[in-house]
Amino acid sequence: MTTDKNRCVVTGLGLISAIGNNVSQCWQNAINGISGIKKAKAVDTTDCYANLAAEVEDESLNGEESINWVSRLCIKATDEAMQDAGLSDFDNSPKAAVIMGSCVGGVSNAEKYYKSGRKAEYVSEIPISPIANHVAKTYHAGGVVTNIANACAAGTISIAYACDLVRSGKAEVVIVGGADALASVPFAGFLSLHALDSEPCSPFNRCGGITLGEGAGALIIESYEHAARRQAHIYCDVLGSGVSSDAHHITAPRPDGKGQMCAIRRAINSSGINPSEIGYINAHGTGTAKNDEAEFLSLHTIFDEEGSDLSVSSTKSMVGHCLGAAGAIEAVFAIKALTEGKIPPTVGYSQEDLSRLSDRAGKLDFCPNFAREKSLSAVMSNSFAFGGNNASIVFSKDVGNIKTKSTRERVFITGIGIVSPIGNGMDNYIEKTLAETPLECDSNESVIDKSDYENCGLKNSFCRKLDKFSRLQAVSGMTALSDAKLIIDDDNAEQTGIVVGTSDGPLSTICDYQQDLVNKGNCSGSAFKFPNTVYNAAGGYLSICSGIRGYNVTLTNGAQSGLESISYAVNVLNSGEEKAVLATGTDENSEIVTELYKKSGYFDSGNFKLSDGSTTLVLESNSSVLERGVKPYAEVLGCGTADCPVPFGTLSGSGKALENAIKLALDDAGLISGDIDGIVGFANGLKEVDKIENEALKNTFGERTTQIPAFNIHKVTGEGRAATACLSAAHAALILSGRLGESVESENLGEVAASRLNKLLVISYGSGGVYTAVIIAR
Amino acid sequence: MNEQEIATKIQKMICEKLGVDPDELDNDVPLFDDGIGLDSIDSLEIIAGIDEEFGVDMTGVGKEPFYNVTSLAEYVANALDADK
Repeated sequence: MTTDKNRCVVTGLGLISAIGNNVSQCWQNAINGISGIKKAKAVDTTDCYANLAAEVEDESLNGEESINWVSRLCIKATDEAMQDAGLSDFDNSPKAAVIMGSCVGGVSNAEKYYKSGRKAEYVSEIPISPIANHVAKTYHAGGVVTNIANACAAGTISIAYACDLVRSGKAEVVIVGGADALASVPFAGFLSLHALDSEPCSPFNRCGGITLGEGAGALIIESYEHAARRQAHIYCDVLGSGVSSDAHHITAPRPDGKGQMCAIRRAINSSGINPSEIGYINAHGTGTAKNDEAEFLSLHTIFDEEGSDLSVSSTKSMVGHCLGAAGAIEAVFAIKALTEGKIPPTVGYSQEDLSRLSDRAGKLDFCPNFAREKSLSAVMSNSFAFGGNNASIVFSKDVGNIKTKSTRERVFITGIGIVSPIGNGMDNYIEKTLAETPLECDSNESVIDKSDYENCGLKNSFCRKLDKFSRLQAVSGMTALSDAKLIIDDDNAEQTGIVVGTSDGPLSTICDYQQDLVNKGNCSGSAFKFPNTVYNAAGGYLSICSGIRGYNVTLTNGAQSGLESISYAVNVLNSGEEKAVLATGTDENSEIVTELYKKSGYFDSGNFKLSDGSTTLVLESNSSVLERGVKPYAEVLGCGTADCPVPFGTLSGSGKALENAIKLALDDAGLISGDIDGIVGFANGLKEVDKIENEALKNTFGERTTQIPAFNIHKVTGEGRAATACLSAAHAALILSGRLGESVESENLGEVAASRLNKLLVISYGSGGVYTAVIIAR
Repeated sequence: MNEQEIATKIQKMICEKLGVDPDELDNDVPLFDDGIGLDSIDSLEIIAGIDEEFGVDMTGVGKEPFYNVTSLAEYVANALDADK
């Protein structure tokens, strides 16, 4: 039985979708089988073969134009969930976290940007990052604040991660969910793939494609102890979860359902229950032939045993496919089903459809057209995304049988892959770093050529599909694997994971795609380019070319995402079945990206050098290191992330969060500030950034600050955002392993003997006031 | 426009739209599977490209004309002839 310490409970729910502006409205309409699918309003459907969508109608959200619609949807749902849970403000507690899922974020701002003649005011909300920041700022959450950008699985992975944070003691209460708004890029993109249904979508039925929806779902997840202490009403427990990757195709699921089944089985096994205990599954059920076929197969394979009594439905038939919000919205529906004892239907079946369904459904009950009453003890919600990402999660009235590792395993860095504007590969990086040649240009780009592909064993026929963002990631990822001598085969593919960190995702591709749509119309989207507009395409391609089939996540909240990925990966290694996880930082620069950063005033000071790149670290558990007999570069001793939310695009006033992040990392490592021998910092020439770092370090280390060797790679590599954050950690590992020589040049104390450096603190920042600190040791 | 001219245009379109290396693409190399390695998403892009370039709709057309650039050019030439 799950101990109280490992229990995660749901204490608040919030929902906004095409069928209602709160949980109660959405639930009533869902139970009554009312669909919110109508002719699309927010996107121009001229000359498009499909013109339907499931859009939110809520006039109370109009106004506040400075905040993108997606964040307004998100705040509306989180407000309801907070009230429902009886919570109002977290007073900057580092144990209060925000994890939000999204697929396209504020991409509608890119449309406004191009249609308005490129007005600067629209720039900062184009990426996904601001969403979690808005939520954190509203309730003063001071812990981990991040966004999960795994397309259609984002909402479910967010919940899974929130529970991992709670069980590892890194959070006590988490606002978790997902939000996405209808926008021209996903509409035109799915249209170009012929994946939109011209009729309302009909999951597990005609399967003619999806209907896009929009909305947000929010849940308050707490440690049982936290909820019990404040006598909160508990809806249910969140039991286990499973996240996996297909390693198959960037848009299509594996026809054999292997990846989906891996996620479902992981969720069931980690819950400590039997498949027959699951009474209802809120399926992914998008309504595309490929998804629904694979899902029929997965469900039949796992649940068709004797005595099983499983109901399955797809609420997408009423709320449409809300992409990054889907998992969160469907989690709310699944929890309502569990607690109310009613199952929402899959709507849209005619008499003829029903007879066809009975052939395919076999023993499974797909709840066609009408809700049904059923006493439930455990339910599941599944999400299967673009990029081959699969996620599955279990909610239950009982406490299940969740086991966590009794002692935390040590985690080592065993491989490093570097792509940077000063050249690719570690030898190149070491040489250029030692030469200390500062970057001259304000805008710098990494270059990848055929020799890089050849060195990584990547074929042209594969690489041609990748945009720059994905190429950077593929090359650094494959280089890191080869550096770690980690060969992916059938035995270890599911035990290896990927955690991609990025500040801005594939921003050039997104803006380029949007610009084409503005010029040529939404009927002219490119099917070839569309998959690359999705943030987790890079992680998906890396899974395909490496064969990695375990955990796969893309997180995004400013530059620090490249360091937070390490923290996330350590969590995965300690809570899942993975033995090795690739933690990365990737961001791209281009003419478009430079233009957007210019508009935001980054170059005004004259000291800021924008760049890009990709860094991948192979993190491995102690047992795996011993088993493989590899020599690690260094050990990851502790990690901490903290937020002091200030308006997105600024940092001023958030310094306390950096101090908190450092303190959390020290606590995590079991160290005190006096144990730190050196710091790899994030100062990048922006006055506000440099000042925050200075002050927080002074407050943490006091008079010792000037005597601790400080290192900073930005002069040589520029501000490559997540790539530089992760590279700072790689730099620390290289110092500690002696790869940068017997003595290393520090910023403040000149040459320092590498042998006297044993524990290095690496820090990074994210716009809006979020910071991550990681301690790396010899 | 003769078939060779059509083929040249199709070659150019495939290289531009689908990131195929021009050195790898001649008129006879198979486009899918073991050849250039195009997939179902690429075929959508080829259909859109041919519609844009020649005004020929290849939606729902079987696999055969997509075998290589020559077979695509032949299909387009026939469709254009039939329109005359």
